[in-house]
Order: sequence, then structure tokens, then C-alpha cells
Amino acid sequence: MRRHIRTLVVIAVLTATAVLTLAFQTIKLGNFERGGDTILGLTLGLDLQGGIDLRYKAALKDPNTGESIPPTKDQMTALLKTIERRVDSGGLGRPNIQILGEDRLLVQLPGVSDPERAKSIIGETARLEWKHRTFNVDRDLAGISGDNVLSVDVVDLQPPTTSTIELPGVTDTAAATSTATSTPATAASTPSVLEEPPTELPGMLIEFTEEAAVEFVEVVERLAESIRLAPGATALYPGYLSIGVEGETSTPLRVPYFELGIFAEIGQIVPLGGDPNIQRVEGTNSFTVSLAGAVGGGAIADMAAAEERFGGSPVLTFREELGKVDEDVGLTGDDLARAYAGQRSGTGLPIINVEFNSEGTRKFAELTSRIAGTPDVLAIFLDDEELLAPGVSQAIRGGAAFIEGRDFTFERVRDISLLLESGRLPVPIELIRERDVDAILGADSLARSVAAGLVGLGLVLLFMVVYYRAPGVVAAVALVIYASLVLAVFKLFPVTLELSGVAAAILSIGMAVDANILIFERMKEELRAGRTLLSSINIGFNRAWPAIRDSNVSTLITCAILFWFADTLDASIVQGFAFTLAIGVSLSMFSAITVSRTLLRILAATRLSRRLGLFVPAGAGDLPKQQPQLGAV
Amino acid sequence: MDFVSKRNWFFLLSFLIILPGVVFLVPPGGLKAGIDFTGGSSIMLQFSMPVDSEDLRLELTDFGETDAVVQSMGDDTFFVRTKELPQERKNALVDLLKARLSPDGVEVLSFDLVSPLIARETVFAAFWAVLAAAVGIYLYLWWAFRTVPSPFRYGTAAIIALLHDTMVVVGIFAILGQLLDTEVNTMFLIALLTVIGYSVNDTIVIFDRIRENILLYPNRDLATVANLSISESLGRSLNTSLTLLFTLLALLLFGGQTIRVFLWVLLIGVIVGTYSSIGIATQVLIVWEYGDLKKLWRKIRRTPATAPEAS
Repeated sequence: MRRHIRTLVVIAVLTATAVLTLAFQTIKLGNFERGGDTILGLTLGLDLQGGIDLRYKAALKDPNTGESIPPTKDQMTALLKTIERRVDSGGLGRPNIQILGEDRLLVQLPGVSDPERAKSIIGETARLEWKHRTFNVDRDLAGISGDNVLSVDVVDLQPPTTSTIELPGVTDTAAATSTATSTPATAASTPSVLEEPPTELPGMLIEFTEEAAVEFVEVVERLAESIRLAPGATALYPGYLSIGVEGETSTPLRVPYFELGIFAEIGQIVPLGGDPNIQRVEGTNSFTVSLAGAVGGGAIADMAAAEERFGGSPVLTFREELGKVDEDVGLTGDDLARAYAGQRSGTGLPIINVEFNSEGTRKFAELTSRIAGTPDVLAIFLDDEELLAPGVSQAIRGGAAFIEGRDFTFERVRDISLLLESGRLPVPIELIRERDVDAILGADSLARSVAAGLVGLGLVLLFMVVYYRAPGVVAAVALVIYASLVLAVFKLFPVTLELSGVAAAILSIGMAVDANILIFERMKEELRAGRTLLSSINIGFNRAWPAIRDSNVSTLITCAILFWFADTLDASIVQGFAFTLAIGVSLSMFSAITVSRTLLRILAATRLSRRLGLFVPAGAGDLPKQQPQLGAV
Repeated sequence: MDFVSKRNWFFLLSFLIILPGVVFLVPPGGLKAGIDFTGGSSIMLQFSMPVDSEDLRLELTDFGETDAVVQSMGDDTFFVRTKELPQERKNALVDLLKARLSPDGVEVLSFDLVSPLIARETVFAAFWAVLAAAVGIYLYLWWAFRTVPSPFRYGTAAIIALLHDTMVVVGIFAILGQLLDTEVNTMFLIALLTVIGYSVNDTIVIFDRIRENILLYPNRDLATVANLSISESLGRSLNTSLTLLFTLLALLLFGGQTIRVFLWVLLIGVIVGTYSSIGIATQVLIVWEYGDLKKLWRKIRRTPATAPEAS
């Protein structure tokens, strides 16, 4: 008896937990969040619950003419598959995706509470490119040499000769970080501080030929571009214009576009803003170059020094130092077979796994063997936005690689994997319409079905109680406990419940009822054979057990095989069915064996057990005379 | 009760049920594939006044689009998927809806062809998965019945019963498809999986009883044991299937329209699954034990051979 009470307590605690789980719409324990505004907070599929209806249109453009071209059927099918997989790995539930007409896609997602996230996971136009990044590339400027320079004059650039070119986003950071140096710009932009501007600002005025001026403008644009933090990038790699004097051996002057400072705390180079060091004099082919802005100890602070270095119209030499060069090697999203988040074996740190197809494997092997052992890195861009720039320790020829990073979290690697996958969209798409949509099976129709199902279940319980009497009551209680456990597990996992899941649940409830019926029928036989109540219960259970075990185990085997096969063959409906059925059947075994048996044994120990008639189905008049030991109690 | 001696009647009954199904199934398109598998047309409609989606569904059924999927996008806008609608038929449908539901007007926001929701491969995938599961069940039953003679027969008999149930359900839907244009959809597929699960479960319960009785009465022959086992478990079989039928009937009578196909498959499946455990699975064991097929074969071979002698 003691043992039964203990089991009863376990059952009670489990039931209470299950009921509480279902009673609260949402559950939040730290990172663990479940539930929502659905019925009992269960996660429901699109057929049972409304969701969001997104319409996309393929936006395929001819790369040369920019004209839209219609996608092929294969491309649309591939697009559908990609989005299906992406939605699946984003944990958005099983979507409904269909091709609409020739170039549109219908995507319906169940009960999405965060449509923005859904849309970002589906992604739109995404072009993934893997490039070879080289740092500090020195290059000749073929079109610009001393021969193309018409005149060189040392000038004082104070006050500024031309208006400042504002670079959005740069001056702000500059103002915030310019702790080391005070520049004319910061002084000018804060007029309340009456700081004495530097009296002299030595510079050069260089006049080029028409053609050289055109090329020099390009160089200046590149320099300007190099100190702008590209979207997604984390570090600046500024370029420099290096100016020397022909025949002189002293180090050339290296001039960045803006004066630079080093943000000491993170060791990053930041532009300090102010006037650009190199500017064109409006309407001419002449450029001013500030000598004060040069780096590496080469800055020239006063006019006298400037005159000494560059006075007397020397023949100048020009070179361009590029901070970084991203070379396109033709490795794109098309070459990637798959990208997924994982854990590094051994350390358990989050990593991103990438696998290339055969063409990609070849390109990737070539790229990595060129990079390995050099300071160069891979730069991965999604829609021209830098996603990652990992280094390469060795050539990777197998077509599979992983990326790890010190700042990687599991969430980040998952998001990046999804983004890498998104780069594989075979056709760029754009969202054309977005609406909320009702359940496929119709909310009204479903509400009626739920009500009818409850009525049906009520009838079953009533039948059990009327026919099997006391054991029927036990079965009814056990079934209610069973139902709450199943639903709680569905909610906690969470299992996305679709019609297939409901079908599995009906089947497992049927099996739970069947298990109870099996036991009671056996009990009845034993009672008729004249055994005592307690031994009838025990023998009844033991006799019924092999049937319950074998039918449940074979169902579990079926579930496992269905699940595995459906996973390999990509049939998610079958998978959902198998998964929910497995949960249902496991719990139904627990319910029949533990819950029903414990409750019955406890019942047998109470005074009710004296009335044997309560334990035999209605109309069972052929019960043998009560055993003397029962009457004697 | 003697169930075993009536085995040929059981087989005849099953044959008579399955045969027409097969006849209807064999011609191409025997089983009418619904829009989940074929794709079709999609229309987005905006009515000038709020419309009940159940009313819209009824109108579509009236129009002959029994398989249509209706999703509301607010009170007056609906997304409807139907079989492929030619332009004229679409116009006729819009006119009908305008007349019946929204006299002030209906606007067609979009009208497109849609691709299938469930790829053909998924159906094949489901088929292979079930086949693999059947092998799993067969092996498990072989192992579970290792204590009785010829344990492999139990798995085989259970699989035959399972096939029988599947063929009955599929056959009935092939007939319904030809006669009433009933279409099979995703729901049908799911319900069929459920029926298969139930069929095996029910068969095992009877077999378990046979296993128990064989060990209990080692000297009785299989026919006697099988009869005893069926009689003993009849109460349980009836009660279990009745409880399931209660629920399904309640759902069919009072539940929503949208899951009818699903419920009908389950209802037929429960009846057939319960019947086949007794009428097919157990009888297959008997046929095997007493070499019925061999006798039948000999009879067939002998009849033409002896006929000329007699004349």
C-alpha cells in the first residue's frame, strides 16, 4: 500500500505540473519560453490555426541590360524547396508553399507572432559571394607620374580653400573619438570653444594633365571609400596615397583621405574627420594635398619643413596603397551545397559548417590553397554586405569546412548559417503582399470539430463508467490524466500540432482506452473464476500486459521507421504523424500500466472493494458467490 | 463460436468488397487526386460585405468544387483554392457568389494557377516509409511470438491484414471518386496512416490471446485455440471499436465540414481493422496451418486432369 501511495504522489505531481503547464497561456522560465495566444498555448500548424500569408515575386534581372526576365519552372521549384528548408530550420513550423502562376510564390506560415523575423528568415534578394581578401596592396599608378604633373607648389591651406565634403557617419565617430588630436574641423564644428586654429597648414597644390586628373579622382574616391566602414564590416583598412620625390631615398609621404587616429582601447583605426587631406580645386585639374595629415611620422607640420621637402617643383612619384583588396574569384551561393550551425567536436564551441557542391569544392580548394599560410583572408559577402572574414589555416580540398570565431554564439552561428543558406536562393525574390490568413481547415469548422470531439470523448468516458463501473471511473480518471500529460508534452517540446498530430493523438487515445478495456476484461474473467479482487487486478494486469506491450512496441517501431524514412525522403507530414504518435503511445503505456493499476489497487484497499459488483461490468449476473474471506472482513 | 470453419466466407466477403475497389482503381485516375496533389487555381476574392466562410464553402460545394480550400483573410476577403478553373468557369463562379452572397459586388483580387501543395514524391515517400514500417512490424512479431510454433506466420498474417485494410479503404475511395467525385487529399494520407496503425494494433491483441492459449493448452489444435481466442477477446474488440466509433460518429455528425474525408477514412478503417483481425489475420494463420492453399492447388490441378478420364 505504501508503495502505491508513493506512486500516486508521483502521478499527482506529474498531473499537477501538466495541468499548470496548460493552465498558463505562456510559460517563461529564463530562456525557456513556451505557449502563446492559441488554445491552451499549444503550437498549432497552419491547418489548425491561422497565420501569415506572404506573396513573393521572382525578381530575376538580366545582369547586362537590367531588364526583368521570367524564371524557368525549375528555378521556381528550386526556390520553393530552398524556402521550405529555410522556414523549417528557422523553427517557423511547417509552411504551405506553392508556386502561383509563373513567377510568384505563395508562402503561408502558421501563427507567426513575429512577421519581421519570418520575413528575414525567408530572405529576399540575396547574393552570396566568397572573395579573396588581401591586405596592404601596393600598386603602381600607371597614368600618374611626374610626367603628368604640370606644376607642384607648396602652399598654406589655412584657411581651407574649398568646402568640406561631408561623409555621412564618419564625422560623428570622429568627434566622439578624437581624444588625441585636435583638428580644425572639431574646432570649427564647436564654435563655442574658442580654440586657436593652427596658424599654418602646409600643403601642396598639384596640377595634373586632363587624363591624369581623371585617374587621380578615381584614386581619391578609392581612398575615401576605404575609410568608410562597409556594411557588416568590423574593421577599417584605410588606403593611402604615397608621394615621393624621384631620386630621393627618404620614405615617401603616406596620405590617407582623412586624418586617422587609433582608438586605443580596441586597437582600431578610426578616421578623425575634418577636411579631407586631398581635395580637388573646383573647376580645375589641380588638387590640394595636406601634408599635415600624412601618417607614420611623415606628417609635416610647418611651412618651412614643407618647403624643404617639396619646394622647387620636384618630380613627384605616386603610388597607391590599398588597405585591402577583395578579389572576386567566382565563388558564389550557387557553389554552396549547404550551411548549417553545429558544435565543434571536442571543444563544443559553436561553429558554422559549410559544404560545397563539386564545382564549389574545386573553386574553394583553389581559393583556400592560395590563402593558406598568408595573412590574407576569405571575405564572405551577402548582397555586398560583409558577413564574415575568416582566415584560412590550410587548404581545404574536401569541399567541407567549418568556420569558428571567438565571438560566436549558438544563436549567431544559426543566424549566419541561415544567411549563408539564403545566399543560395536560386532566384532573387521580392515581397509583394502580406496578409493574415485563417486556418486551412477553417477556424469555425475546427471549433465545431473540437466541440464534437469533446462530446465524443465524453461519450466514451460515460460508456466506460456505465459498463465497467468502478474500474470505468478509474479509466476515465486515467484518460483525463493521460490527455493532460500528452497536451503538456506537446506544449513543452513544443510539438507543432497539425491534423496529422491530431490523428495520431486520436489513435493513441484509442490505444489507451483499448489498454484499459483489455485489462478490465481480463479482470472480469478472473473475478468470474472466483479470485479475490486484488488478485484479479494483479492477474488481469499481468495477462493483459503482453498484448499492450506488443501492440505499443510495434507501434513505436512503426513510428521510428516512419520518422526516419520520412526524414530521409522529405515527407514532413508523415514525420509529424510519427512523432506525435510516438509521444502519445509512450504516455499511453504509462497511463494504462501505472496510473490505472495504482488507482485500482488503492481502490481495492478501500471499503468499496467489499461490493464486488462494482468491479464487474453491467449485466454480469454470473458472478460466483462471494469468497468467504471477503465476507469475513 | 466457430469462426474458423467459416474462413472461406470471410475471404469471399473481403474479396467482394475489395474487387470493385480494384476495378475502379485500375483505370488511370482511379483514385481522384485532390488539389493538394494536383495543384489547381487560386482566387483571392473581396466581397463588398462581410461573408461567413462556411457559407462560402457551401456555395463552392454547390458549384461542384467539393474539394475547395477556403481561408478567410478578414471578414470580406477570402483566399480560395480549387481545381483548375477555366476562365469561363471562374466567371460563372464569381457571378454565382455575387448573386448568392454579396449582391453589391465581388472583386477578384487575383486569379492564378497554383502548384501542388504536396509533391508527388511525398506520396511515394509515404508509401516506402509504410513498406519499411511493415518490415519492422513483421520482424518484431516474429520475435515476440518466438515462444509458439512457426512464429514468422504471425507477422505475415498481420501484414496481410494490414494490406487488406488499406485496400478496402483505398478501394472504397476509388469507388467514391468515380461515383461521387470524392477526392483524396493530405487528410486522406494521414487518415490512412492512422488506419494502418490501428489495424496492426488490433491484430496483435487477438494474436496475443492465441499465443497465450497455445501455451496454456499445448494439446489443442490451432483451430480450437483460434476459436477460443476470438471468442474470449470479442468483448474487448467490440468495446474498443465501439468507443472509437462513438467519437468518430460524434465528430461526423456535429463537427466541421472540412475534416469529413478524414473522418470517413477513420470510420471505415476502424470497422475494417476490427473485422480483419478476426476475419483475415487469424484465418490466414489457419489456412497456413492446415495447408488450405496446397489442397486448393491440388484440387485445381486434379480437376482438369481427371475430367477427361471421367468422360
